[in-house]
Amino acid sequence: MTTLRKKNALVASFTIFTLLFSCTEGRTIDEPGNLVPKTVDQDSSLPAISVNGALLHSEAFGPENGTLIIALHGGPGGDYRYLLNCKDLAAQGYRVVFYDQRGSGLSQRFSKNSYTSQGAGATNIMFEELKSVIAHYKKTPNQKVVLLGHSWGAMLASGYAGKYPEAVQGLIVCEPGGLKWDDVEDYVKESRSFKLWGEILNDATYLDQFISGKEDQHEILDYKMSMLSSKNDITGEGDFDSSAGWRDGAVIMDALFEVGDKYKSDFSAGLQNYNAPVLFFYSERNKAYPDSWAQKITSSYKHVESVKVSNVGHDGIVTNKDAWNSQTKPKIINFINSL
Amino acid sequence: MKNNKLYITAAFFSLVSNMALSQTVNWGGLTDKERHILNVNVGAEYGAIVGLGYGYKFNSKLFPTIVNIEASVPMGERLFDDFKTKAGANVRWLKLNNLQFSAKAQGIFRKYENENVQLMNFGLDMSGTIGYYRPKWFAALEIGFDKAIVTHFKHTDHYKEDYPDVKDGWYEPATGGNFYGAVQGGYSFSNQEVYLKVGAIVSQDLKTKPQLPYLLQVGYNYKLPF
Repeated sequence: MTTLRKKNALVASFTIFTLLFSCTEGRTIDEPGNLVPKTVDQDSSLPAISVNGALLHSEAFGPENGTLIIALHGGPGGDYRYLLNCKDLAAQGYRVVFYDQRGSGLSQRFSKNSYTSQGAGATNIMFEELKSVIAHYKKTPNQKVVLLGHSWGAMLASGYAGKYPEAVQGLIVCEPGGLKWDDVEDYVKESRSFKLWGEILNDATYLDQFISGKEDQHEILDYKMSMLSSKNDITGEGDFDSSAGWRDGAVIMDALFEVGDKYKSDFSAGLQNYNAPVLFFYSERNKAYPDSWAQKITSSYKHVESVKVSNVGHDGIVTNKDAWNSQTKPKIINFINSL
Repeated sequence: MKNNKLYITAAFFSLVSNMALSQTVNWGGLTDKERHILNVNVGAEYGAIVGLGYGYKFNSKLFPTIVNIEASVPMGERLFDDFKTKAGANVRWLKLNNLQFSAKAQGIFRKYENENVQLMNFGLDMSGTIGYYRPKWFAALEIGFDKAIVTHFKHTDHYKEDYPDVKDGWYEPATGGNFYGAVQGGYSFSNQEVYLKVGAIVSQDLKTKPQLPYLLQVGYNYKLPF
């Protein structure tokens, strides 16, 4: 009787084990397309342009010779999907260009060392990439160029305007965390000061025992980054605004923060020579972006109009349809028409 | 006879795993009569953690063994959406006066859930501990490896809004692995014990660090004398 019971237990265990592991197809977490979307170099059906040795996920809307509006996404390591409300501007006769920065979204990935080995010059890779994107889409010499950047994209846009002040006829920036690196650090600290016992912090840290990725294992690292909660009670992200993205770029985010920390990147450099107007947006619900912080950041621009967008948080300036239609978009249209 | 069988099973499990593990105990403070060890702990390990454990000690002159089960949860608004359970054995392999070496191996089942995904993982935690054990106190060094062997992914509609083609199911081979090292020390009194464990965690490539690369545990053992 005991032997029979043992035999049955053995058969049951074997069956459970077999069912558990053979009924579904085993998959690897680093295979392209399994957990995160393929990038443009892995999926040729995606819209792409080739600039500076990188294949970038990019598309443009509106008449080719209209005022060029280049949308710059946040991150570093975000993508342009959450900025797509800006497509509305094409109906105004503008040429609206979106691109995922290298190593971000659906654009081609590069090693961490390809950035960090450049030292302080790593940010120049991003400026030169933007320069080439503008050149790719600019059809006539007199075509006006407007940069529209959100968060990290606003820092990048500001740094570009300071570096090439004659190349940009208008600057639209939405809540750059800071322009000088010390300010960036302060802002990140303030906006990510989660409670030690909170769900968000534990969700972020507990995952590390399930999935670990080596340096430059992009599929794994990007996936882990995407798992972090999109909700942030401090900045108001994910509160009621949809801030969808295609795919995060963990390696470039890590690399550019490392470079920023080490070399104190300054995105306000040269802005004293930038004489074109600046339209600056910040949000009412971002607790890390009070009026005093907005004033501090805007002090780097010479000719700036500051707009506080009500009832939204950090992303909602662009992603919240109501705020976009009633506040952000009309201001942008007036601004561009005045250039 | 029954106990011997369990002992052999536990020892075999330890042997095939090359290592063995256990609750943090003072090997020098355990008497033959103390067989049941209840444990509560709090600390940091991939988050802010609280845990409970139970160990049963098999007396043996050569290889005393504690088989144990543990459960822990990280803090947060949703307390039981994430948890970890472990079961295994801790074998004291070597005793040279007060110097003792033990090893543990524990099978792990753990779950993680957030707005994007639910993960269920089977893993193995192995470690070796060498230390100086006295009846009233101990100090030791533990080196271990926690392998996430096979993981089931089930994504939420929220994640599928971003990436509808994501593939759910079992993922293998191993989806993760981390080494850890910790110093531990404790004080024993009557049939009780308090201990402190402090250490660091690094990913299996020995370069990448988890977001919380530290390990901290304050624990209390209550040993039942029957």
